[in-house]
Amino acid sequence: MEKSMEQRWQLKDYVFAALMTVGLAVTAKVTQPFASAIPLPGATTIAWAPFAAIFLTLGMARLRRSGAVALIAGVLALILGIISWTISAFLVAALLAAELVGLVSGGFAGKTTRLVANMVFFAATCLTGWFIGVTFLRGTPVGDLAAQWLTQPWVLVPAAMVSALAGAVGWWLGEQIVFQLQRAGKLDVAR
Amino acid sequence: MSLAKLPQFLGSVNPLLKIVLSIALTACAFALKSVGANLLLVSVLLVLTFVSVRVERKSVVGVGVFLLIFTGLTGTLSGDWGYAGLGAARLLVLILPALLLPATTAPGDLVRAFQAVRLPPFLVLSLMLTWRFLPVIQQEAQRIIEANLLRGVDLARRPGLWFSGLFTPLIFRIVSYADDVTVGLETRGYDPDSPRSTSQPLRWRPGDTLFALGAAALLFAVGGLEWTA
Repeated sequence: MEKSMEQRWQLKDYVFAALMTVGLAVTAKVTQPFASAIPLPGATTIAWAPFAAIFLTLGMARLRRSGAVALIAGVLALILGIISWTISAFLVAALLAAELVGLVSGGFAGKTTRLVANMVFFAATCLTGWFIGVTFLRGTPVGDLAAQWLTQPWVLVPAAMVSALAGAVGWWLGEQIVFQLQRAGKLDVAR
Repeated sequence: MSLAKLPQFLGSVNPLLKIVLSIALTACAFALKSVGANLLLVSVLLVLTFVSVRVERKSVVGVGVFLLIFTGLTGTLSGDWGYAGLGAARLLVLILPALLLPATTAPGDLVRAFQAVRLPPFLVLSLMLTWRFLPVIQQEAQRIIEANLLRGVDLARRPGLWFSGLFTPLIFRIVSYADDVTVGLETRGYDPDSPRSTSQPLRWRPGDTLFALGAAALLFAVGGLEWTA
């Protein structure tokens, strides 16, 4: 059953999105302590993406319509914004980029749209994180290192591409779980 | 880091005040370049952490090892160890409020804070559920890891099994939780589009004024140290 853009969000949608947000937060908590110790461009995104994309894919597959990524990642941005507004900044930039994909494709019902949205989301996360690092973290080891590398596209472009690929790996894993949930009768999704 | 709650004075402070202070401290972590100012902030935050929450020894060791790795890598890459040490201090100023705020704020207090700033009801619901279920899902993940251990599978040493052994069962549990919570809320007549009411609205108390004054004094002292450095 397709969900139209006009159809109202229901309680079950909000609850499902909130639990996907929890999934994103748990994956961040698991991966970030290790990844943030590596002062290399995109390291945190590349470590986070394969796991976080599973939950994003699942959320998109279940909610299907535009706004799904905003509801999942936006709540995470709001919660993490209490702790650090820089995290919120790159999450909001990334969710806007992914929502743009959803808007152009008329929602997230298709697998290809979900793949592209995931890749765009994580590439945007990497690029925005880098921009924030350069702009606001000048004077810190991470910020200065980012500024030093920003002028070198042979580092920036591959970092964004690897982030997008890591998102694609997460999408593939997410689709496997969507399939398993569908077979178990736990998820009504369009494939 | 696992934090066991103790009777705490931070728990009774207005959650909005704690959120504002947390944001101010994040800004400080980015802005301060003086060693003295950073150390003053780190000292106060460490005292607050050890007074307000029970911190397990293994967590302290874990954070210590992480900071050592971070300092070592940035020191090696930049070639300036003082600079790397300053980076570690700034990282602590970022990390400690992030640990203190969730550990000293009950989900109900957070919801009241979000209601006080007039967030849309559906967003308050999402935030409340996320805040409430984060520890629950973490416990579920721990249970799955232990169940694997009982079967002789140590997931920590076999990342190849993370997907089938950890993530798949965890997501099945999350989906089940989502169904259960939806049914629970629907049977209680919850409507995400209706405004929420509260029996205990957020109030400003004399203790909050004292805490705000203390925080302002600390920020002035930190600013003074930065200015004179």
